Amino acid sequence: MSTPLPQQKQKGLLNLLGPYKGIIALLTCVTIIPNIVSLLIPQIVGHAIDSYTLGIFMLSTTIWQFSLATITILIFTILQSTIQTYASERVARDMRTELSAKISHQSYGYIQTISPAKLLTNLTGDIDSVKSYISLAIVTIISSIVLIIGASTLLFVTNWRLALVVLTIIPLIGGTFFFVFGKVKTLFTKSREVIDWLNKVINESILGSALIRVLNSNNIERTKFEAANTQAKDIGMSILSLFATMIPLITFISNLAIFSVLTLGGHFVIAGSMTLGNFAAFNSYISILIFPIIILGFMSNVIAQASSSYARVRNILEHEEKKEFGTITERLKGNITIKDVTVAYGDKIALKNISLSIQPHTKTAIIGPTAGGKSQLLYLLIGLIEPNSGIITFDGKNVDEYNKENLHADIGFVFQDSVMFNLSIRENIAFGQNISDENLDRAIKTSELSEFITTLPHGLESVVSERGTTLSGGQKQRIMLARALALNPHILLLDDFTARVDRNTEEKILANIAAYYPDITLISVTQKITAVEHYDQIVLLMEGEILATGTHENLMKTSPEYVQIYNSQQSTHTYESPHEK
Amino acid sequence: MNYTLNTGSNNIPLNAPKKQNIWSSVAKLFPLLQGEQKNLTVAFSAIFMNSLLNLIAPIIIGYTIDHYVLTKNYHGVAVFSLILLGIYLLALVASYIQTKVMGGVGQRVLFNLRNSVFNKLQELPVAFFNQNKAGDLISRINNDTDKLNQFLSQALVQFIGNTFLIIGAGIFILSINLRLGMAGLVPAISLLILTLAISSYVKKVNLASLQSTGGMSGEISESINNFKVIVAFNRRDYFREKFQEANQKNYYASIQAGIVNTVFLTPLYGFIANVAQLIVLAYGIYLISIGAFTLGLLVSFISYMSKFYNPLREIASLWTQFQTALAALDRISEILALKTNLTVVPHDDNTDTQKSLLEFKDVYFGYPDGEEILHNVSFTLEQGKTYALVGPTGGGKTTTASLMARLYDPTKGTIFLSGQDIRTYEPYERTQKIGFILQEPFLFSGTLRDNILYGNDAYSKYSNEELLAVLHEADLDSLISRFEKSLDTPMQSGGEAISLGERQIIAFMRAVLRRPDILILDEATANIDTVTEEILDTILKKLPPHTTKVIIAHRLNTIENADEIFFVNSGEVIRAGSLQHAVDMLMHGKRDS
Repeated sequence: MSTPLPQQKQKGLLNLLGPYKGIIALLTCVTIIPNIVSLLIPQIVGHAIDSYTLGIFMLSTTIWQFSLATITILIFTILQSTIQTYASERVARDMRTELSAKISHQSYGYIQTISPAKLLTNLTGDIDSVKSYISLAIVTIISSIVLIIGASTLLFVTNWRLALVVLTIIPLIGGTFFFVFGKVKTLFTKSREVIDWLNKVINESILGSALIRVLNSNNIERTKFEAANTQAKDIGMSILSLFATMIPLITFISNLAIFSVLTLGGHFVIAGSMTLGNFAAFNSYISILIFPIIILGFMSNVIAQASSSYARVRNILEHEEKKEFGTITERLKGNITIKDVTVAYGDKIALKNISLSIQPHTKTAIIGPTAGGKSQLLYLLIGLIEPNSGIITFDGKNVDEYNKENLHADIGFVFQDSVMFNLSIRENIAFGQNISDENLDRAIKTSELSEFITTLPHGLESVVSERGTTLSGGQKQRIMLARALALNPHILLLDDFTARVDRNTEEKILANIAAYYPDITLISVTQKITAVEHYDQIVLLMEGEILATGTHENLMKTSPEYVQIYNSQQSTHTYESPHEK
Repeated sequence: MNYTLNTGSNNIPLNAPKKQNIWSSVAKLFPLLQGEQKNLTVAFSAIFMNSLLNLIAPIIIGYTIDHYVLTKNYHGVAVFSLILLGIYLLALVASYIQTKVMGGVGQRVLFNLRNSVFNKLQELPVAFFNQNKAGDLISRINNDTDKLNQFLSQALVQFIGNTFLIIGAGIFILSINLRLGMAGLVPAISLLILTLAISSYVKKVNLASLQSTGGMSGEISESINNFKVIVAFNRRDYFREKFQEANQKNYYASIQAGIVNTVFLTPLYGFIANVAQLIVLAYGIYLISIGAFTLGLLVSFISYMSKFYNPLREIASLWTQFQTALAALDRISEILALKTNLTVVPHDDNTDTQKSLLEFKDVYFGYPDGEEILHNVSFTLEQGKTYALVGPTGGGKTTTASLMARLYDPTKGTIFLSGQDIRTYEPYERTQKIGFILQEPFLFSGTLRDNILYGNDAYSKYSNEELLAVLHEADLDSLISRFEKSLDTPMQSGGEAISLGERQIIAFMRAVLRRPDILILDEATANIDTVTEEILDTILKKLPPHTTKVIIAHRLNTIENADEIFFVNSGEVIRAGSLQHAVDMLMHGKRDS
């Protein structure tokens, strides 16, 4: 992969080609050669006709010259097409690699802010339009410029006064391009944004497909999509209007050149200041001149699209990455301290002055009402979100001092919602890095998945679909647990793990964890007090603040809120734990 | 019905239709252009006009030179120059019209095509979405339709214009000298045959390239949508690697397509054009030497030859765009051809049963390519009662509930809603009767108000105050006040700003506001704290007395008030006598999953 060049101010499209200088130079050469040779062909034909009139025509010489020119053109155009395809695809691939690497290093928060839908457009559509710039525009621009310069030179040599008149069209055309470019660029940026919008609507309608069918709200989705699609059409039409004006206008300006050659040139010939032969030659060079000018007009479309796409991609690429300074690679013991930590989203405070201390090998439960900040607290520990103020330490050292890879390898996190990858069950569970078979087996056994896996036609190798839909909620939850346990972590964070697992299984699993991972430090967000009564510490979290911390007995005496929650769960207590009777 | 689309990576053979000729592919384009006849006529006339003017202009110039410049008649030169200017002005207008009208056709076709693909997605059942990757579907709706648009709005204009030019030049060539003309056109015919011969290969390669783009898009969606697991498990490399794999695959497929698209045709066409010129030159000089042709004619003949072969080369590069468009159309048609298997069947009085609200009769069910999940399940639900489904995970509770809401149809047996086969109801009617709070709550981007009123027309015109009054009546206002900006609290589809518990509360409000006859709660309060849950319980109790409630839950306090409890395990639904009985089964029964 190309190493990024040092800080450059200019980040235009041309800049993008920097690392590909060699291949672009080669491409330029193989583009210029056949164009020059093709300018020679009319010469060969003319020469043949002239020599025939002079009676010195040699068929073999003409055939020989002609074939040489033709074959040279063939070889070089093949080379040119191949290199141009190769170069454009390589630039696209490398850009995707660079962009995906950049994205992969970003924080979770950044990804959510930018939105997955936009990142998808960046990685696909935007890069594609840069690609077509390279595959189409570069070669076309080079060969057009060669032809324009060649033809202009020939015009000047033939009759400089007429040439001057003819060439006044070039600034006219340049001005038209400039004007349209300025307008169309913002339109292209807008059209990309509409594609983001379309992506979002499609994405939501796919992820929410079950809900849409339950509510029969297909029409709402249609309306939303149609709104985005209409906007896309309107922008498309505006872009079209500009080009529908520009392209004929440029053709017309070019045609004006032919018009002036006929009037002025005709005048010169009649006045005797120009020979008829020169006049004829002038006419044929004009047509060589005009074609590339028109093609440049078409290319302006490609260039405008590419430069607005490239700007969008650069935006992501230039985003400052959070620097990782952590060097500590020691394994965690499980001593966790949170001191005066506050987390806010804009003016909404999610966690306020949280202080908490957790001893190794202990069990801590976090309970409290919905949206009280329980999950946020866990996200904080694993670094998914950053505190606005306050300090988090593991074994007495600031979390930032730790190497993130080591830290993550030591903390198992079971998310509340299930996330399945389109991989086999084995790969879904052994998702972390370097998972040994032994750890995998233990994780499966602990999560009570062994029996379930044996019922699958391909066992562990059965592939789970993207949203894991044919698995039940509880099965997915257990796979999520196994995924976390397979890391053989020293700290296990459970985010409302038991919510979707039946009581019987839950008890078995909790017993398994105690048996197979005796030294683990457990932090569990939960709703059910009965399951955590015997925990070393229970934290009551409400509206982002810790209301009380202590053992169950302690809290029952000191915290009225805790007692209220406890009471709300009492009615079926006797049913839930029949073996305690 | 199997809803899995061909993505090139599964076992469906690439390029499935074997004997598909070009014309049948072209025929697929016509339905897209319906309603555009008038515009197409205008555009085609403009294109024809433009090409004609482009052919006439050189003739005028030649005529002026021959008749006025040579005779030194400047007045004639001036007159014909003005005629030329007039022609150019006409060409300006024609060219504007052709670009604008044809581009408009392209934009509208794109608009309609995107709409119809999206509408088709809305018609298809949940099973379709379980079997296909979101990213690939997005790629089909956006990327593939755009490939078609590019062809229709840009390439087609040039295609037609160039065809006119070729025909015009061809006629001139043949009329100047038939023998020489035929000799000059032979290479073109060989090109035509070659082009037709490789068309299906070109299309196949382009299809593979589009598929790899879809696959890449699928990888991106999966990883970016699941980014938090990637971060927490320190598998940022997973995204990079999986993406890189797809990227590399796409790279090879695109290079192959690119080379086929450019190398095969453009240089080859240039070559053949030059060969044709050589043939004309040699044969023409021979004809002159035997006195059958003149030098002057040969000069203009050669210039008409380039007028014939230049547009032909243009067509060559357009041809590959055309093949790409056809490949894109194939991928789109694949979706458009799918039919929902959840159609409404005609009502037949004879199959009606007694008037229980909901009845499962000998129902069997299994997901496609999976084992049977429900075996011979029969039970009835009465109006106004509360039912609980309990049982171990993977036992079939959610599946049973999904069948009640007709997200799927049973593989065998019948489900009756108010005594009538559930399949006879129009979706509108059925969803009015059945409210289903799904296990995984989903939010749409928008506000809290948008989300609670989602799919509910009854209150959509209400102001926030009026809506709050309605919510107050339903006892839902205490839930609303949890959200910082009340009804205007912004929501994002993904992201963590709204917790799972809050999402469940929103889903609950959304379902309750609809006042369904049957309300199914599939672990709908699993992540809600027990104090809030008591509030939800009160709200449920205040629902109209005829409301039937079906509750799936693991927390037993949620279900203690059920009138009847069903124990669902290993695909069987058994009536439990009492809560205690259910608990015994749950705690001591064998878990079968």
